[in-house]
Amino acid sequence: MDSLLSARGLNKQFVSGGEPVSVLTDLSLELARGESLALTGRSGSGKSTLLNILCGLETPDAGRVEVLGESFDSQRPEAGGKTGTRWGNLRRQQIGVVFQEANLMPALSLLDNVRLRARLAGHEQRNCQDWLERLGIGELAARYPDQISGGQRQRAALAMVFAMKPALILADEPTGSLDRHTAGAVIGQLFELQARHGCGLILATHDPELAARCSQHLDLGHRPEV
Amino acid sequence: MILPAALFSHYRRHPLQLLALAAMIVLATMLWTGVHHLTSQARVSLDQSESAVAERQQVKRTDGDRVSVADFVELRRRGLCVMPWMEVADPDAGRLVGVDPLAAGCFGDPGQDQEPWQRELDGRPFMDIAEAAELAGQHGSALSLLVSDAHSAADLPSGYQLAPFRVGPETGELGDSFLLNLDALGVLVLLITALLVRSVYLLGLAQRRDSFALLHRFGVSRGRINGLLVVEILLLGLVCIVPGIWLGRWLAIGLGSGFGRALEGLFDQPLYAGQGGGWLKPMVTMQAVVLVACLTDVLRPLGRRLSGGSRGFAGLLLLMLITGLAWSVWASALVWLFMAVAMVFVAAGALAPMLISRLADGQAGRDKDPLARWRHRELSVLARRLALPLVALQFALAMVLAVQALVTTFESTFDRWLAQRLAAGYYIEVPDAVDPGPVLDWLSEQQALASSGVWHQVVRGEATLMGTAGKQDTVVDVFALGPVGPLVTGWQLFESVAEPWQRLRQGQGLMVNEQLARRHGINPGATLPVQLGGGRLDLPVLAIYPDYGRPAGEILLDVAVLPPGFVPDFQSLSISPGTFSIEAIKGQLEQMWQVDEVVVRDNRAIEALASAIFDQTFLLTRAMTALTLILAAIALLMMGWVFFSTRAWYFGLLVVWGLSRRQASAQLTRLAVALTSMIAVLALPLGIWLTWVLVHRINPLAFGWSLPMAVYPPFWAELGVLSLLVGFSIALLMHRQLQVQASAPASASALAGGER
Repeated sequence: MDSLLSARGLNKQFVSGGEPVSVLTDLSLELARGESLALTGRSGSGKSTLLNILCGLETPDAGRVEVLGESFDSQRPEAGGKTGTRWGNLRRQQIGVVFQEANLMPALSLLDNVRLRARLAGHEQRNCQDWLERLGIGELAARYPDQISGGQRQRAALAMVFAMKPALILADEPTGSLDRHTAGAVIGQLFELQARHGCGLILATHDPELAARCSQHLDLGHRPEV
Repeated sequence: MILPAALFSHYRRHPLQLLALAAMIVLATMLWTGVHHLTSQARVSLDQSESAVAERQQVKRTDGDRVSVADFVELRRRGLCVMPWMEVADPDAGRLVGVDPLAAGCFGDPGQDQEPWQRELDGRPFMDIAEAAELAGQHGSALSLLVSDAHSAADLPSGYQLAPFRVGPETGELGDSFLLNLDALGVLVLLITALLVRSVYLLGLAQRRDSFALLHRFGVSRGRINGLLVVEILLLGLVCIVPGIWLGRWLAIGLGSGFGRALEGLFDQPLYAGQGGGWLKPMVTMQAVVLVACLTDVLRPLGRRLSGGSRGFAGLLLLMLITGLAWSVWASALVWLFMAVAMVFVAAGALAPMLISRLADGQAGRDKDPLARWRHRELSVLARRLALPLVALQFALAMVLAVQALVTTFESTFDRWLAQRLAAGYYIEVPDAVDPGPVLDWLSEQQALASSGVWHQVVRGEATLMGTAGKQDTVVDVFALGPVGPLVTGWQLFESVAEPWQRLRQGQGLMVNEQLARRHGINPGATLPVQLGGGRLDLPVLAIYPDYGRPAGEILLDVAVLPPGFVPDFQSLSISPGTFSIEAIKGQLEQMWQVDEVVVRDNRAIEALASAIFDQTFLLTRAMTALTLILAAIALLMMGWVFFSTRAWYFGLLVVWGLSRRQASAQLTRLAVALTSMIAVLALPLGIWLTWVLVHRINPLAFGWSLPMAVYPPFWAELGVLSLLVGFSIALLMHRQLQVQASAPASASALAGGER
């Protein structure tokens, strides 16, 4: 299989109450194109930290990450902020990130949010309305985030991610704030589009049913609350 | 106690916010108390002076000599009710007036329990004449003899005459106008400081709203929460206002001497005695301001109902702005003019954030680039959310712009005017009781002086402008000079008839200063009836000349026009000796006048001294406006920083979407700088309009003279740079926050985009 992402020997510690607390210890994983990986574990087990490391928003204390042929080694920092620039380019064009909430710019309409994301990825903005249509919120394109429901906002967030045509999607409990019915609909659309476009998906979730729908499963286990 | 503890726990978590609010209240109180203290003390001093000399008359010698103790004794022996009044100019204590309480006994007024000076004889400004006489040995003094109103001219022995008593020019109306000016400055300072206090308070309140909502869900009534907030702000006000007043009093004391000199320079009269002021009024005023500034949210629904929606509100504000602008052109009294200024400020202040917001929204609608569209939408949000500190900054910028323009205009105009008035190289006082005639003849005969130098004689005194059409007689200063030559013919004139100087030289008329012309509506060509030295002259007005820095009305005429009976108060010579030696002139004058030493003053030194006094005069105004501007800039900085913090998540999203932190910071910088630049641009027309109001409307009404309207683009550039600095500072502070990962917005409204 064509490797999309691999991580080797990731370690990450935080300091809490003056004491060092290990969040990730010697963690490794592999993801190929078209595959999906579920990250599970209690709150504070390091799911969000791992996702942040895999998209370059955080730096591991030790370990190596390789994404789409770009290699990042925590032990070999690059001069002149080159690491940050390479990660930035990846997030801009290849890696789509979806959070549990607050994925949209509140001052922009849904359509303008999607256009902004497409523009940053360097894609044309003509298809942005289509993405909203495909996710069933085309008629809400001119609305602002505070004028629609939580489920509609998450659909808009997915439209933004797909408008950038990513190779990898990192979703941090994307339906955590939604009711079961809405969550099911949103996550169904996420899996459908991921399969159709053949991109990789890493999904942090508490829901075992959701985790079971992914091709891989990584349980970050139990650890004391940070 | 659990409820207040829960309510106030916010400040335990954010002690700096509490500190900032406390500091803002202390600074606001200090600033306003300082201005109020200076104003009220000036008013008290003015009232004392006016009540002390109201409706009084004095005895003067008909031979023109100054009255002395011998005259007092002579008049008392004749049974006249006379009281000595000795004014001492002490540079440290200010104005001191020595009076004799025993002699004042016969001044008893059945309608008044006590005479003004009997209430206070503690040197503020009245003291016993014995103490004043001691001080008079060290400083200059002037003795007058006040006589009871019960006496008429027929009661006086020969050699004496009655004259109205006044300690300086008639300042009544002008003094009040000046104090009204200071009051207006105080109100403006109060308005700006209230906005600042409110902006800092709202900053904390915005973060506490979730806690209030939670308490409300737990069953605590909104009324109880509001009540506790009132108690909180009352207590904080009490704790902070007391040190603020104390600091304000120190500020007033620190600026008092300069302020006193400023008043004296403006009115030729000491108006500031510097007594201690009260605590109650500043305390109550500031407590009310703090309460209203912090808790006006209760009134907001009422305001919305009255205004009838935002579109109607904007229309109302626009109407108010236009009405205020029109009124400022036509208002004939200072108090109405200030009302017009207040209307313009309120309307302009409320419209400015709306205008920025709408412009930004309009631009966002036209933007093709989604990133630019986002930036302009964010700018629109910022303008609305930071409306209060933005308006405070706009007012402060406009005020600084206007005051700087006024001071600079005055400086250049005053310098030019002073250079004209002191065109001669030297100034020589003619001693009392000498006849200058032979010296004038000698000077006329000097060929060297005639060929290379220039000179003229100056005679100063008083004349009475005869009242016409039911108007009262007015005492005016006389400024007579001759020969009329190059030392004066270059003077700037506001209005004149043809060949004014030539006609003045020929004794065919007189000139009047601007103050007199304004007060009596005099135009060139009109004929003025003037009583000079016992005789009446009807002279045409040849010109109106500028006469800055004092309120007195003055007439200028050729010395040859003065009748023989005219008693001069003072005489001098102005000389530019050319190739002739000033030492030789001085020696000749000492010989002819038979005095040990003739006082020769270098006019350049006098010019430098006058400029120094001028600088002192405007130090207070400059300091106040600068301090207000600094406060406004700090408030915007703080508010901007905290508000941007609530938006940090969204700037973080840009980083998540692939922008580098530097690029995200650049967006932030563009936003912050755009906001502060736009408010500076909007402050510009307000500042220019305020400059016009100050020089063309307020100044003539308050002081009696006007200034030319001038604008100073370098000031605009300076203020532009300052606004850029504030913008960059906000961006710099936020840049630090972007270095750490922002947490997602906590409140439900923010998640839903409630800050759109």
